[in-house]
Amino acid sequence: MITFAIFFFFAAIAVIFAAVVVLHRNPVVGALSLVASFFALAVMYVLLEAPFLAALQVIVYAGAIMVLFLFVIMLLNLQHQEEPRTRPVQQFLGYTTSAAFGLALIYYLAKFGVTKLPEGPFVSDARTVGIRMFEAYIFPFEMVSILLLAAIVGALILSGRTGAIPPPTGENKL
Amino acid sequence: MHGIDWVDVGLSGLKIAIVLGAMLNVTPIMVWVERRGSALIQDRPGPNRVGPFGLFQSFADALKFVLKEDMLPAKANKVLYTIAPMFGLIPALTTIAVVPWGRPFLLPGGRLFEPIIANVNIGILLIFALASMGVYGIVMAGWASANKYSLFGGIRASAQMISYELSLTLAAVSALMVAGSLSLTDVVWRQTGSFVLFNTIKLPAWNICSPAMWMSFIVFFVSAFAETNRLPFDFAEADAELVAGYHTEYSSMKFALFFMSEYMAMATMSALITTLFLGGWDVPWYNEPPTAFGFAVSVLAFLVKVSIILFIFVWVRWTIPRLKYDLLMKLGWKVFLPMAVGNVVLVAWFIAKRWI
Repeated sequence: MITFAIFFFFAAIAVIFAAVVVLHRNPVVGALSLVASFFALAVMYVLLEAPFLAALQVIVYAGAIMVLFLFVIMLLNLQHQEEPRTRPVQQFLGYTTSAAFGLALIYYLAKFGVTKLPEGPFVSDARTVGIRMFEAYIFPFEMVSILLLAAIVGALILSGRTGAIPPPTGENKL
Repeated sequence: MHGIDWVDVGLSGLKIAIVLGAMLNVTPIMVWVERRGSALIQDRPGPNRVGPFGLFQSFADALKFVLKEDMLPAKANKVLYTIAPMFGLIPALTTIAVVPWGRPFLLPGGRLFEPIIANVNIGILLIFALASMGVYGIVMAGWASANKYSLFGGIRASAQMISYELSLTLAAVSALMVAGSLSLTDVVWRQTGSFVLFNTIKLPAWNICSPAMWMSFIVFFVSAFAETNRLPFDFAEADAELVAGYHTEYSSMKFALFFMSEYMAMATMSALITTLFLGGWDVPWYNEPPTAFGFAVSVLAFLVKVSIILFIFVWVRWTIPRLKYDLLMKLGWKVFLPMAVGNVVLVAWFIAKRWI
């Protein structure tokens, strides 16, 4: 009973703030709303008896990635600007594509979605996740780390002063 | 649903009341220690008129905060401006819930009293998750104030927090590896007792005394200063450069909330340093009995350790000047991060060799 109340409360928070991210014109408000949405999502993990995942969700997404987002938004001092007018064709394509995607998502979730938890004790502590990750999924894990390494090297070359792209000149604006 | 264990609920309520009371009283006490301590270091009397030794100065300060006008800048984002101080306070208040503050003992009814509010098995992750939310209070305040100095404070805070969170977490990892658990209760139990170093000195089994761990203690300790925005790393407010940084536009109780969250975050960090490296509630060279007396002694030991660390926070603030910003980043990324990673490898080697 209490679980249901908590679920619907935080589900509502997650959905509302996710909508704010898309609809609000101010990028800083959008980023902060995304943090709130992530946090509500972490509560879902706790309700699914996976507190380890919940903590990681908050540390990685709400804590680290979104702080970087906010940092960049504030550093560039993005203000909400008038968006360029879109052509009717663009609008039509945008609406139909997203509607089709939404319908496909609902269809597949209804057909294959998980409606109840698997039987038996559900273990998701650090030890189990660690053993799984470094035994069964060691190859994808290493692949992801190589991908991230490539991204880091790419960022270093793009921002480096001796790289292919010349450093930005003058004009120190806030 | 099973019947509710009302004794358990009552004990939990009692524990929450004790910890909350202690945390709320940290701020006035620490303000007094900070002002008198700075006076001691700078060879001047400091506030000594209100009450004995100026002890009631904090209450006079609180009264001043309450009576001040609560101002709202014309161009500020009203919602974010108002909730930012509250947002800063929540992580500072909640993280202490998973820190054990005494030895468990048997109550007369045969029930075990555990002096920790929430004994969860992901304790340290919960702390890092909530602590990483603390930066949003500062960033929100900096942005919502619509002031360039505040904005700079917010930007600096986010960059600094991200940089030092890494070293802080990695330094804590080595303590967790030794304990083999994410629960802070296990971390403390692992540090009870003592060991003999090189067949000569008998040292308490605290992590700081371990030959593999003292380096991560240094990394954690210094990163804790950066995480709590204290001098020499207080770049979010940096009064010589940014007026007052992220809280330039704040006054009255909203400012007081920032003030409170700074000191509460300091207290939580001190409790965490004590738990991870200084043996938590363990009294060195002494085996606490599982009785009310052992509990009292252990709580006292915990409080003494936390107070010493808190005093070092004050001591450092009034002794070491602020770094330059590029130096802060260089120190974080090029000194402490390699140190922390190297220490994790070192501890892993020690564990593999079964030396600890």
